[in-house]
Amino acid sequence: MSNKDDILKRYRANVREKYDMPDLSDIKATTYPNPLVQFVKMTEMVGGQVIEVDSGRDINVLIKELFPDAKEIASNLPEITIATRNPDTVGRARDLNGTDVGIIRGMFGVAENACIWIPQTMKEKAVCFISENLIILLPKSQIVNNMHEAYKRIEFDNEYDGYGTFISGPSKTADIAQVLVMGAQAARSATVLLLPD
Amino acid sequence: MKIGLFIPCYVDVVYPQVGVATYKLLKHLGLDVDYPLNQTCCGQPMANAGFEGQAIPLAEKFEEKFKGFDYVVSPSVSCTAFIKLNYPRLLKGKTECETAKKAMDVVEFLHDVVKVNHPLGTFPHKVSLHNSCHGVRELGLSSPSEENIPKFNKIKDLLNLVEGIQVLEPERPDECCGFGGMFSVEETAISEQMGIDKVQRHMKTGARFVTGPDCSCLMHMAGIAKKRELDVEFKHVVEILAAGL
Amino acid sequence: MSTAHSNAAKEFLKNQTYAKWHDATFWAVRTKRDNMAYGLDEWEQLREKASAIKRHTITHLDEYLDQFATKAEENGCIVHWAKDAHEFNEIVYGILKNHNVKKLVKSKSMLTEECEMNPYLEQHGIEVVETDLGERIIQLKGQAPSHIVMPAIHLNHDDVGELFEEKLGSEKGNHDPTYLTYVARLSLRNEFLTADAGMTGANFGIAETGDIVVCTNEGNADMSTSCPKLHITAIGLEKIIPNYDCLAVFQRMLCRAGTGQPTTTFTSHFRKARPTANPMHIVLVDNGRSEWIGNPEHWEALKCIRCGSCMNTCPVYRRSGGYSYSYFIPGPIGINLGMLRDPQKHSGNVSACTLCNSCQTLCPAKVNLGDQIYMWRQQLDEFGTANSQKKMMCKGMSMVYGNEGVYNLGTALAHWANLIPSPLINCGMNPWAEGHKMMKFPKETFHSLWKKGKVK
Repeated sequence: MSNKDDILKRYRANVREKYDMPDLSDIKATTYPNPLVQFVKMTEMVGGQVIEVDSGRDINVLIKELFPDAKEIASNLPEITIATRNPDTVGRARDLNGTDVGIIRGMFGVAENACIWIPQTMKEKAVCFISENLIILLPKSQIVNNMHEAYKRIEFDNEYDGYGTFISGPSKTADIAQVLVMGAQAARSATVLLLPD
Repeated sequence: MKIGLFIPCYVDVVYPQVGVATYKLLKHLGLDVDYPLNQTCCGQPMANAGFEGQAIPLAEKFEEKFKGFDYVVSPSVSCTAFIKLNYPRLLKGKTECETAKKAMDVVEFLHDVVKVNHPLGTFPHKVSLHNSCHGVRELGLSSPSEENIPKFNKIKDLLNLVEGIQVLEPERPDECCGFGGMFSVEETAISEQMGIDKVQRHMKTGARFVTGPDCSCLMHMAGIAKKRELDVEFKHVVEILAAGL
Repeated sequence: MSTAHSNAAKEFLKNQTYAKWHDATFWAVRTKRDNMAYGLDEWEQLREKASAIKRHTITHLDEYLDQFATKAEENGCIVHWAKDAHEFNEIVYGILKNHNVKKLVKSKSMLTEECEMNPYLEQHGIEVVETDLGERIIQLKGQAPSHIVMPAIHLNHDDVGELFEEKLGSEKGNHDPTYLTYVARLSLRNEFLTADAGMTGANFGIAETGDIVVCTNEGNADMSTSCPKLHITAIGLEKIIPNYDCLAVFQRMLCRAGTGQPTTTFTSHFRKARPTANPMHIVLVDNGRSEWIGNPEHWEALKCIRCGSCMNTCPVYRRSGGYSYSYFIPGPIGINLGMLRDPQKHSGNVSACTLCNSCQTLCPAKVNLGDQIYMWRQQLDEFGTANSQKKMMCKGMSMVYGNEGVYNLGTALAHWANLIPSPLINCGMNPWAEGHKMMKFPKETFHSLWKKGKVK
């Protein structure tokens, strides 16, 4: 059943005055004297946690300290040696359910709203949402000011080129009586580990 | 500069003292003001109710009566806004609409054209300022709370020229009072609730007087307040500006 | 003189405690929005750009739709076109049937509400599970949304607690929102893992890349598409925008305007199916839009990005609740969309507006909502839905005001109204007496004072 032509024909018959595309290059978007400081502030505001990792510090040890009770740790990142599950090799996405900590990589952060661009770089993207706690590794030099800059930069992965998302803090809802609760359907906590360059 | 004074129907009948104060104020400022006889209504009530066709003959009469003036000044923001925004469309194909360009609310006129900046009357009271919707969002008498633009309020600027006055604003300073013309007849329950909420917020400022640039909002709130025997009075801005002159 | 809305609103206001809570809750959301808007120096510029982008896009939709569909197909998606709600439902059911789907999890989509998809699929034996918490609550309750962004806002935590006790087996008497959210999380988690297909709506479709962009706080759109083998997206034609530069403008405004947050938690770009899943299906839905674009006074309603902020600021919505409106989308945008959909059915909402214009002063896409409601009122007579009493009243007023002799006589006598009810000038204002004390008419009008030289 293809109605594309019918629909477009009806549209063309009905559309009246046409308007030009505005110039978007003159948007005076907010920038920050120190985008990293703003990024940290916004991450905390949206319910996330930020930890600056000193060079030389072993992030595996750090993660164990942060989540000492974690039994199932999922990641496909080569530097994560404590993973018990790998989203690249699980049989089905649902096998990632029950993950206590999921560890993924972010490409860059956005100062104005704490968004982090996360292209899919694993076979099962479920790891980004199904984990109880999410850890995002982010190089601390990679912070842009705002979404205009962000959208000039986003790229999808070469191999897994079907999906990417901005994540800003943990999953949340206020659908019951407008009370804010962290951890609706996806991760209940979000920790950003800022890595040295 | 010849000024035509437009006293809308309900001001004429219910609040003649507002018309008198407007005239007095304009004369006090040395202006050439005339009141053309046999003026009635701008047509807004019918138009807002969905019958703007019924407003066209009134618009034609209005145009005829007022087009010769340099400014058409009125103490009612919603009537002025109606003329400015709708007359050109209503009179399209009938006559070139002059009055839409000339119509001005008295506050806007005093603030922007006459640029009054010397002391006016005396009113040694706290007043709570009622920012009528059409004044805020159609005539630009103050910065709408919805917009991120530099804050201003022309009514407040003028009131602050009055000796002894203390101008306050309620919480939600430009939320609608719920009059809305035919709205108050069709949606009585909501209109009343909005009116009660608004009057209570005005009273919470501690002022005993509420003042605004539109008698219809004031009429609505006064009706609500009187029914509940609340100790609050309603005065049009010009009555305060002209007090003691 | 009353309308469908005014009658329902009167009932709503009878529960004053609840009505006050409702007003205060939405005013708080409005205040959060204000803080966001005041926090960006470029806010008004963004609104200007958003409006201009939408004006451009919806008047060049044929080009952008073609570009979007071509790109999406290149990406490996299967694109369908539905001319109306029925065809949409058939297409979705067809896809589900082909894949032998028994259970569908879905994220929030006003479009599927518009097309009444859930009951259609359920009639055909498919279990549909809403996964946005608010939508899930009202689904369990058997209700429709009362707000497009906060669909279960009309229920308090006790209502939800009792519902969950009955439907999800939560602890008796534990109505703590954090606990209840956790109960729903566990229950929905099971649904995500066992569903055969996931469905999302779309906040935006990007013509240049073929991306479907979905914004959620809960992550339920991502959960809905991370485990099942099939992903179907439903998108209204008007949701297509040209490119990422345009998306940046809307992404920055959508959530700031809608809920007063700097962003939604997730802004997800779906370009094709997961490596282990079946191809992604995109259903483009017309359902009236290609005709609305031709409506000279109301085409700009298509600029709406469904942020819900016009409801939050509307003094009438806040005091009457979503169910006082006959269309499934309430508030200023709902009044307008309802009239575009079916004026015979939804004229009773047109009274729900004081013309205060707060909505259009705040709308991030600058939809002229109040002006449009004014214009709909002018058309009620033509639709045959105008109130005859009101019509007579307006004719009467026009006669009185149009004839100086009658007007002057009437107004000169007006002060007698202080003694006599229902005066000429005040005809039809009787409903006023319910809430107002009638005004006192002074002895002399301004006109008469002037003529006697008493105005000095």
